[in-house]
Amino acid sequence: MRETTQQEKLMSIGISMLALGIFPLIWFLSQALLFRELTDAISRNLLVVVALIIGSSFIFLLFLGMDKIIKLAPKDNRDALEARMFVGPSLFMISLFLFYPAVRTIYISFKDRYSKDFIGFENYKWAFSDPEMIVTIRNQIIWLFFVVFFVLLIGLVVGWLSDRLNKGEAFFKSIVFLPMAISAVGASAIFKFIYEYRPPPLTQIGIINGIRVSVDRLGAQCMNNRIINGEFNGFDNENCLKPIGWLQQRDMSNLPFAQSLDANNWFNNIVVNLPVNTMLLMLIMIWMFTGFAAVVFSAGIKAIPQEIMEAGQIDGASEIRVFRSIVIPYIKSTIIVVGTYMVVTVLKAFDIIYVSTRGDLETNLLAVKMLDEFSKYRNFGRSATVAVLIFVCVLPIIIGTAIREKENAQS
Amino acid sequence: MKKPLLVSFLLLTLILGACGGGSLEGEEVSITGALIGTDQDGFRAAFEPFMEETGIVVTYQGSDNFEQEIQIQMESGDTPDFALWPQPGAVVDAANRGMLTPLADLDIDLEQYQNDFSAYLVGLGTVDGVIYGGANAANLKSIVWYQPAEFEARGYSVPSTWDEMIALADQIVADGMNPFCFGMYSNGASGWLATDWMEDIMLRTGNGVDSYDQWVNHEIPFNDPVVKNAATLLSQIMHTEGYVVGGTDAIVSTYFGNAQDPMFSKDANGNPGCFMHRQASFITGFWPEGEKAGAGTVTTVFPFPSIDASLPAAALGGGDMWGAFNDRDATKAVAEYMLSAEFYNNVATRPDNARLSAHTGFDTSLYAAPINKILGDTIAAALSANSFRFDASDLMPPEVGAGSFWKEMMNLAVEGPGYIDTALDTIENSWP
Repeated sequence: MRETTQQEKLMSIGISMLALGIFPLIWFLSQALLFRELTDAISRNLLVVVALIIGSSFIFLLFLGMDKIIKLAPKDNRDALEARMFVGPSLFMISLFLFYPAVRTIYISFKDRYSKDFIGFENYKWAFSDPEMIVTIRNQIIWLFFVVFFVLLIGLVVGWLSDRLNKGEAFFKSIVFLPMAISAVGASAIFKFIYEYRPPPLTQIGIINGIRVSVDRLGAQCMNNRIINGEFNGFDNENCLKPIGWLQQRDMSNLPFAQSLDANNWFNNIVVNLPVNTMLLMLIMIWMFTGFAAVVFSAGIKAIPQEIMEAGQIDGASEIRVFRSIVIPYIKSTIIVVGTYMVVTVLKAFDIIYVSTRGDLETNLLAVKMLDEFSKYRNFGRSATVAVLIFVCVLPIIIGTAIREKENAQS
Repeated sequence: MKKPLLVSFLLLTLILGACGGGSLEGEEVSITGALIGTDQDGFRAAFEPFMEETGIVVTYQGSDNFEQEIQIQMESGDTPDFALWPQPGAVVDAANRGMLTPLADLDIDLEQYQNDFSAYLVGLGTVDGVIYGGANAANLKSIVWYQPAEFEARGYSVPSTWDEMIALADQIVADGMNPFCFGMYSNGASGWLATDWMEDIMLRTGNGVDSYDQWVNHEIPFNDPVVKNAATLLSQIMHTEGYVVGGTDAIVSTYFGNAQDPMFSKDANGNPGCFMHRQASFITGFWPEGEKAGAGTVTTVFPFPSIDASLPAAALGGGDMWGAFNDRDATKAVAEYMLSAEFYNNVATRPDNARLSAHTGFDTSLYAAPINKILGDTIAAALSANSFRFDASDLMPPEVGAGSFWKEMMNLAVEGPGYIDTALDTIENSWP
């Protein structure tokens, strides 16, 4: 009896190796050889047609062949093998397109700009000492903290309040959700126009500066953008506020409000040093994702059983108390999921910066810096280093999600 | 079976012989490059007389993604016959990788080529003494745009020296207006306009082109007194109260493509927002539609004023350069044609042409657009006097030329003259 199990075990190992290892390998190699020969033999257009036909039937035949081999295995092991058969290709693809590039990027990050010689930790030293990198990392941290915080906060409040609407909830939610339908590039272009600056004698086409140059300065009457005696008055700047290049302000020092602050106060010093352009760029992302968060939270709130809410109300809890003690705990996992998604999105944030400032004037983020090092400065080692930094930042989130998934599955 | 083949072969050689030692009729030559739109049409038109005469079919295909595509083509060995690069650095790069055919192998008279295009331009496409690059078009950056009518109406005269320009600027400020338009915001490249200013000043101070070349090749440090002097002069323009319309805020915040617009807009008293705008010849493409036609007449240029009178008049510019990938007979013929003075004849007469021949023997009276004649003459004069120089920031390592140099110029504009030393030290330290 024991011998047979041993034998069966050996047999199933042999078959699984044959079915999941050797057979697909030979299958792939033969295809690769065939196409290598075909590439030289026939024209490119014909090759595409041939590849389409052979390629699709090849996958079918691959599974068919694997299945045939698995059928030879002892009955008890078949199910497990069959499951592996279907997971196998995806695992293979993931390791080919995810693990290999990741490992290779880490490897390149220890090499010089042409990926020729090993230079140890030089690139990492650079990443944490170069003034521009420090500003980039600072920005990334600011973005992570504020964007995620405000998206969650505003999303929760909007989701909660829209749930209390008697009518028009769907309309309201679709309005809030609308920015999500706009691409990040489109949204950045819109906001670029809002923040647009033109040198003073020109008409301001940005709405913020347009309003700004119509405001009185020094108690005098500003005449810009007024209709006087039936005639439209253009721009004479004497008595009006000056326009400001919003995306070019690295701190508040050009704003009259900051100039009036007492310089010796530590809090005022922080306020004056707030990076205006970075804050305005974060606003674009908050604007884009708040609607998404609100809609997801609203769905979570809808799922709270009415009885619990009513019980809370009967016990005399205020709105805020209900929100804090019932709603928040109930949709905690939703908040975590949205928060995780936002953290990853912010770490990958690229398009907003790329379209609006391209990282100039201390607005850079890691993803854009990575591209700059690659295409602008042609330094592959540094570019890979920045990529590794992003990867390292995302890693805890991936691990956290995996652990939570496991807990969820167990409970 | 063998005989007919032999006979036909003999016949073919006879026919070819009759056509004068190997006709190139019907041969195809392909060129790729970064020129698109009207530039592409013009470049194609340049080959029309050549194609009629020789029967060689020259095809040009431009792409706005040319520089990446040609890299891939070179990697895979699937190259065209010629590539026309927007800057000579790429030609040197390709030559270093052994991709290009030296001009000597294309039967080009190298001495003649140097005489025609100046030793400096030829030198930009040379690797270890072997010439690979063929100079083609040039553009000019050492120019200041102004409106003659506005100058005349107020009795201002065109300054020919830096001191005259400063005196004129002071005069304009005293008259209650702003002399300069200056905007250097440019997504991801902010600050390059100030580096252009620096280069123009460097060409006209110290030892002129000599100290300029030393500066480019880092034979003098970036915080050398000559460079510091140039930065000080630039700071005088940027930071003197009233010089720049909108002040330093405007310098940093104004997109370079909008920078000239105040010149075209008049206030209630009929005064323009500014009178002078130093910017390269290509800027006309960014002008408001209504103003483009006036380039060279309503709005025209004067050369960037000289600073040190003992130095010859210099010109800062850019240009493109081609490299050949093989030495077929048809390729040789096309190469020779592209280096001839006549090459741009057919292009210059097009009214929408903005490309200027780098050939010093080119007949500039052929340019249809008035502005091109002025620019073409300036380029030819500077090339002949060996005082034409390429944009320094394009020739410096990218960490400096496209990195710290741009960034520190932005910081300099914001921080004021007190920041000059810090700026130059920072750039010096970033040199790899």
